[in-house]
Amino acid sequence: MGKIIVMTSGKGGVGKTTSSAAFATGLALRGFKTVVIDFDVGLRNLDLVMGCERRVVFDFINVINGEAKLNQALIKDKRVDNLYILPTSQTRDKDALTKEGVERILNELCKEFDYIVCDSPAGIERGALMSLYFADHAIIVTNPEVSSVRDSDRILGVLSAKSRRAEQGMEPVTQQLLLTRYDPERVEKGEMLKVDDVLEILAIPLLGVIPESQAVLRASNIGMPVILDENSNAGQAYLDAVGRFLGEDVEHRFTTVQKKGLFSRLLRRSA
Amino acid sequence: MSIFSFFRSAPKTSAVQAKERLQIVMAHERVGRSGPDYLPMLQQELLAVIAKYVDIDANKVEVKLDRGGDCSTLEVNIELPGRDQIKAPSAVKDAVPSKPANGVAKDEDDDKAVPIKSAASVLTNGGVSKRR
Ligand SMILES: Nc1ncnc2c1ncn2[C@@H]1O[C@H](COP(=O)(O)OP(=O)(O)OP(=O)(O)O)[C@@H](O)[C@H]1O
Ligand SMILES: [Mg+2]
Repeated sequence: MGKIIVMTSGKGGVGKTTSSAAFATGLALRGFKTVVIDFDVGLRNLDLVMGCERRVVFDFINVINGEAKLNQALIKDKRVDNLYILPTSQTRDKDALTKEGVERILNELCKEFDYIVCDSPAGIERGALMSLYFADHAIIVTNPEVSSVRDSDRILGVLSAKSRRAEQGMEPVTQQLLLTRYDPERVEKGEMLKVDDVLEILAIPLLGVIPESQAVLRASNIGMPVILDENSNAGQAYLDAVGRFLGEDVEHRFTTVQKKGLFSRLLRRSA
Repeated sequence: MSIFSFFRSAPKTSAVQAKERLQIVMAHERVGRSGPDYLPMLQQELLAVIAKYVDIDANKVEVKLDRGGDCSTLEVNIELPGRDQIKAPSAVKDAVPSKPANGVAKDEDDDKAVPIKSAASVLTNGGVSKRR
């Protein structure tokens, strides 16, 4: 039976799609058969971040409406085995996501896949609610910034009240924090909330800290999940987070300012 | 640099202020999430009680809420009408105390409208409660 993971945040633009792409790829690299679904109906973007935008024929909504078969809409990743993408529609809106339709597709996917990663849209409206409703695990993507932290808390409230697990009195959805766009230099200057501050406020376990990194934009430019850029801080931080998700004890990195040696400073200057 | 700055405690960084603001607002939002929001009701009932004694103009009622960490205050400012408009205690039928509540009848210096202020601390669970 596959496990359903939702990447959610409330606030927009905090890194849900970047993290969904990275996480799904990371799970597939570990040998798990994984599919990542774009729930942002009308604002399809996961296909670009995953680099499969030119191969989209059918989408999630077509499958919900019975206009296409699930395996016609699934796109197999060209770089990583075991990895599939289910893109969303560009033209419909979020009302196309019916609870019954979503449930039917997720049930079908659960039979075939180990992990189903749901990339939630921003907000707490229909699209976001549908992406988290069936979740077993929630990864709360948060930036160290007041509005993002507050919105994450709102989403935690929604998860504990309006998810299927909550409504049916099942074991609650597990909740873990993924703190993204973290800038240790600004934290040191007192300009940005510390990891510990955010943890104290949200009071959920820490899955990982992804540093602010130029590699993220570079990766999305070429349609490659940043986790495949193994030389980048962000890529390594995502690899660590996937390990922790799978129960490994991995120490946190990139949370403090890295002292640059003379050599790397010279290199940077010439770069 | 002034010599006094040695003695003054360092100003709070913006990150520290961010944390404090979040802790306060979120403590209240979590309380509101689990349970009905009683503030509007409380406000209405308070006004109903006062209206038994005096004719109050709804437009001259000012309600302010200040959410703090350990305690919050609800401040209700009501402008009382002149003396002649105050209802005689005999007109009050319900079994409410015959003496007006604290601070209500302090408009002794004649029939000028006197704003009264009654501040009630209504919310007390400040601080961030741990989840689960
Ligand atoms: N660690 C990071 N370092 C630098 N930039 C980042 C990082 N993570 C995300 N970004 C950038 O932030 C922007 C938003 O990211 P992304 O699209 O993943 O957010 P989102 O939460 O999915 O947004 P939406 O709510 O619109 O769906 C992108 O331009 C992305 O490149
Ligand atoms: Mg997105």
